[in-house]
Amino acid sequence: MNLRINFASGVPIYQQLMEQIKHAVETGAIRRGEQLPTIRRIAEELAMNPNTVARAYRELEHEGFIEVRHGSGAYVAERETSSAKAAGIRRAGEVLRPAVEQGLALGLSEAELRRVFEDELARLQNDAAAERRRN
Amino acid sequence: MLWYKAWLETRWRFVFMLGSVLLVWLAPQWLPSLGFRLPPGVPASRLWMAIHLGSVLLYIVAANFLAGSGVNSQTTYAATSGFHGSMLFTLSLPVSRRRLLLVRAGLGALQTGVLVAIMAVYTLFHLPGGASTFQALEYIARAIICTIAVYALSVLLACVLDEMWQFYAACSCWIAFYLLQSRFAFVSWISPLRGMSLFSYPVTAPMPWAPVAASLALAGVFLCASVLVLQRKEY
Amino acid sequence: MNDIIIAAEGLSKSYDGKPALRSLRLEVPRGSICGFLGRNGAGKTTTLKLLLGMLRRDAGSIRLFGQPVDSEASSIAARRRLGFVSEDKELYPFMTVDQTIRFTRPFFPGWRRDLEEKYLELFQLPRKKAVPKLSKGMRTQLMLLLAMARGAELLLMDEPTGGLDPAMTEDVLQILADLAASDGTTIFFSSHQLAEVEQICDRVCIIDQGQVVVDGVLDDLKSDYRRILLVFDGTPPPGLAGLPGIDHLRQRGRTASLLAHGDVEGLVDRARELGPSSVEVRPVTLKELFLDHVRGE
Repeated sequence: MNLRINFASGVPIYQQLMEQIKHAVETGAIRRGEQLPTIRRIAEELAMNPNTVARAYRELEHEGFIEVRHGSGAYVAERETSSAKAAGIRRAGEVLRPAVEQGLALGLSEAELRRVFEDELARLQNDAAAERRRN
Repeated sequence: MLWYKAWLETRWRFVFMLGSVLLVWLAPQWLPSLGFRLPPGVPASRLWMAIHLGSVLLYIVAANFLAGSGVNSQTTYAATSGFHGSMLFTLSLPVSRRRLLLVRAGLGALQTGVLVAIMAVYTLFHLPGGASTFQALEYIARAIICTIAVYALSVLLACVLDEMWQFYAACSCWIAFYLLQSRFAFVSWISPLRGMSLFSYPVTAPMPWAPVAASLALAGVFLCASVLVLQRKEY
Repeated sequence: MNDIIIAAEGLSKSYDGKPALRSLRLEVPRGSICGFLGRNGAGKTTTLKLLLGMLRRDAGSIRLFGQPVDSEASSIAARRRLGFVSEDKELYPFMTVDQTIRFTRPFFPGWRRDLEEKYLELFQLPRKKAVPKLSKGMRTQLMLLLAMARGAELLLMDEPTGGLDPAMTEDVLQILADLAASDGTTIFFSSHQLAEVEQICDRVCIIDQGQVVVDGVLDDLKSDYRRILLVFDGTPPPGLAGLPGIDHLRQRGRTASLLAHGDVEGLVDRARELGPSSVEVRPVTLKELFLDHVRGE
């Protein structure tokens, strides 16, 4: 797992770590059902605070994204559970709200804003497909 | 491990004093080679007296010198800024200030005692008329005890003064004391300076208990005061 | 087993009539790595010295490991369980690296020989070299070794990475992270390096003019605090300063920059009522949090 945290950012570190772990699962760097590194390992490798790592793990467990098995460690959940989905949706809303506000502040109408979103989504999907074809 | 630290801290001072003592020992050997001769008509016992006087002064210098440095003293840097760097490390250790002082002072006292004993033996060796073993031991004992009173005052002064000033202050104190003892009979009676010399109390005289007792008392008082000062000190 | 390792309440200290600490309150829980930030002269070193018994407090109470520290005996008991690194990293000039370690070891029955070897190796400290011949960086590393190898439950450090290059700094941060992760060691250190504090600390405590102005979990502070930027068509209205819940306000020309925490939504609504032409809400970095609280503007 290639974890990159921007410690100087205004975004809480535990949230960044959660994003990074989810991203690692999405890209396949770590697969569902696989064991995650120990809190100690991540803390030591990144020279970051173990309590923060623990908090990220707790939140991920609360969302159902990972499972903590007694005595053996943390594992990525096999299936994304509905609570994980709901949390994902909630989080997306938080992330997108400032963008929506800014778009409206620029004077765009709702329809125009929606079109911008769809265009961006399509562009990203095209880029991802092109990337996959190259590899 | 505090004794270990105290030793590492003071060993060169001790060696230096040991060297000085040896110089005094060998004075009759090397002084003539420098051209010093006793003027004609002056008895050899005068030379002995000069050496003994020198020895007594050396007792005092040694005591003051060895009392400096270590847990109690500050450096010139410290006098202005208020703390000595490595003191913070020492004080962060789980050891009481009293123990810090007593170990450091204890080692210095031992070193002083050794030096005084060596010089005392030398003095006795050349004493015109000689001395019995018992008399010799008596002298060595009182020389050590009286010098420790001087040492203890230096320890106290080192707790409140810069190292350089401590030395001068200590010497000044005993010069002042010397002047006092020539004025006041009581001071003369209990004087550690007289107690440590063979001029005031020759080996044939009975043990001078007044200066010995006074020295022990003074040493005790100065050491207690040092501990109290150190315990109240802020770093 | 107490959860609060450092607890100071109402701590006050003056030097020659000038107050250095004013009724300071501090709480550091077990296992936390807490960064202690403040300008020079704000009271960081004074606080550390008071915790260690090098200074006597004028008022207030101190508890370490749940036990009150109000006498030399209780201070000594606490010092058995902690390690200290001083700001100037001064050690004994008459000892070598080896002798310094041999001197310190017997004071701590929990001394970890394995860690001593590991750090000697990592820092490449020359055992037989006399302390005055060491560079500042090496003296710092030696002092860190002495503090970290003794099996302490708490580390109190004054600028622990001062004088270290970035690679050594990263090594030290890794060691601290590992000590916290494996042994639950609590670490409380003062620093001027905000980047380091952001990296390794889960808690942060900002002190200014003898008082704690910010104290909490760093990630929560980042969630709670927001910067609100308002642009007005003309000069900002005077009502701005009267808005409740503002920690800091700066006005420049037609722009007003607010630092707020708590009910940010409510505050934004109130601010909108004043009729700004644009409202922007941004997250806050530790640097901003620090500067806004210690630079009176």
